[in-house]
Amino acid sequence: MRFLNVLKANIRREYILLKRYLPNTIAMIITFYVLFLGMFAGISLIGDPSTQDTNIQYVIVNYIFWFLAMVVVNDIGWQITNEATQGTLEQLGMSPMGIWKIMLSRLLSTTLIEFAIIIALLYLSMFTAGQWLNVDVLSILPVLILTLISMFGLGLIIAGFTMILKQIQAFLQILQFILAGLTFVPLSVAPFLAFLPFVKGIDMVREIMINGVTLTEFAAVDILILVFNAVFYLGLGLFVFLRCEQFAMQKGLLAHY
Amino acid sequence: MTQPIVEVKNLKKSYKKRKTKEIITAVNHISFTVNKGEILGLLGPNGAGKTTTIKMICGLVRPDSGIITINGIDNQDKRLRAQEHISAVLEGNRNLYWRLTVRENLEYFAGNRGKSRKEVAGQIEELLGQFRLKDKENEMVNRLSRGMQQKLAIAVAMLAGSEVILLDEPTLGLDIETGYEVRELLREIVRTEKKTIIITSHDMDVIQDLCERTVIINSGKVVTNDRVENLMKLFEVRSYAVKLDGHLSEEQHQLLLEKFPQLTYIPETYQSVLEVDLTQSQEIYDLFDILKLEQIPVDTIDRKTINFEQVFMKIVKGEKEYALSERA
Repeated sequence: MRFLNVLKANIRREYILLKRYLPNTIAMIITFYVLFLGMFAGISLIGDPSTQDTNIQYVIVNYIFWFLAMVVVNDIGWQITNEATQGTLEQLGMSPMGIWKIMLSRLLSTTLIEFAIIIALLYLSMFTAGQWLNVDVLSILPVLILTLISMFGLGLIIAGFTMILKQIQAFLQILQFILAGLTFVPLSVAPFLAFLPFVKGIDMVREIMINGVTLTEFAAVDILILVFNAVFYLGLGLFVFLRCEQFAMQKGLLAHY
Repeated sequence: MTQPIVEVKNLKKSYKKRKTKEIITAVNHISFTVNKGEILGLLGPNGAGKTTTIKMICGLVRPDSGIITINGIDNQDKRLRAQEHISAVLEGNRNLYWRLTVRENLEYFAGNRGKSRKEVAGQIEELLGQFRLKDKENEMVNRLSRGMQQKLAIAVAMLAGSEVILLDEPTLGLDIETGYEVRELLREIVRTEKKTIIITSHDMDVIQDLCERTVIINSGKVVTNDRVENLMKLFEVRSYAVKLDGHLSEEQHQLLLEKFPQLTYIPETYQSVLEVDLTQSQEIYDLFDILKLEQIPVDTIDRKTINFEQVFMKIVKGEKEYALSERA
């Protein structure tokens, strides 16, 4: 119940800031849309015409998930950096709920609030490309939730490291390209990537949205890897975050720079 | 009987300097208690170790050794439970979200402590009234004056509903009027809400005005733990300014300096002043014996008043032990 109140407070804050700084939000959407247009134009102009449709569909799913990964994983790092600079991180550290619960609720609230933007971007890009993907909600939702759980785990790891390193902006800039790599590289090229967070999930969503596969048609091993990744990375994320929190308290690193 | 709500026992914290790898002992085995409903001043010069101590009490920094209990709860073993009983304003107006309004800040911080908006609605109304922020409730924090931001930061700490509130420099950067208003608010909080407050401040007027007792830390150690009035008494009694009609001859000056080495002689146009800190009260008779013997006419005699800032400086310089031994 108390965690629900933490979550509600963070959803409300996220919503207020999104609404209050609407021009920033619109600018972000336009930037991503222009990026998509660039990729779309590239495939249309110089891509192989025989695989053009598939490639465009591929790009739509990948870039939507890249946006999602940026929102979930990268944003939490920036949030911690900002909180430390502002001087509010210590206040969060004084909450009897524990910082990790506040950070988890931040991850959840950011995802929930930004989800509307992601859906809008998905339909906008499908409309632009004239490629309508299979939006089978019943199949996508369970895979998406498990994928998001592994993303949250990665987000907590980033949050933990940001808490102790703080001047991590350069890494966060690079991280967005690492995330792009993880979302764009197909598993058929590098099967071992299935055990990295969210890669398997995105591959399965691609199967659903591009090839029309349903949830029941996936092999048990695919589902198992997906569940394993979710549990493993969330557990790892929590473990790393709590260790980083302990380290930060040992060294007195929760204050600003 | 007064009951301690915060107990600090044998606390130690060292840091390793990143570049030189040199070990710095910020806090060196300090112990003190804070009683329920008390306003305690935690003082010390820059680098004395008070910020580290405060952060250890808040549970934000882990001590190397020693124990801190808040309301009987060990704040290392049961950190989150202990944090139910303590809130703090550590960096004043920087502890707030500047892009949220006054009300949104209050609701957000309450939410992060697991409280619903409904649960704190009444309390928020009360605090907005008490802190005279009602007409600014929908104003964004970055548009408030520093004084209002400071009051909001204290209101946020109050909303936590904890018994102990820790305030680091609560009047720093405030104008005289707002500083006074904040002092009055704090006094009211202790009187009506029965809160325990620990204050750190460089403004000794604030400490003298608000605190019943002070713990002074220097070089990581507690050098004084006493009531403010006791410390004032310890230093105030023996400083005198004796105004003379005319001037002293060189011989008379030397004679007085032999007996009172710390005497200051200030010649003026027609008169002169002798400023002297006497170590024992009977020395005043010795001074007047010399003046009488030398037939030096005395115009007036005043006991110099001492403020808490001077007391603090004397304690930090290590004059307390001297004063105590002389008194004994």
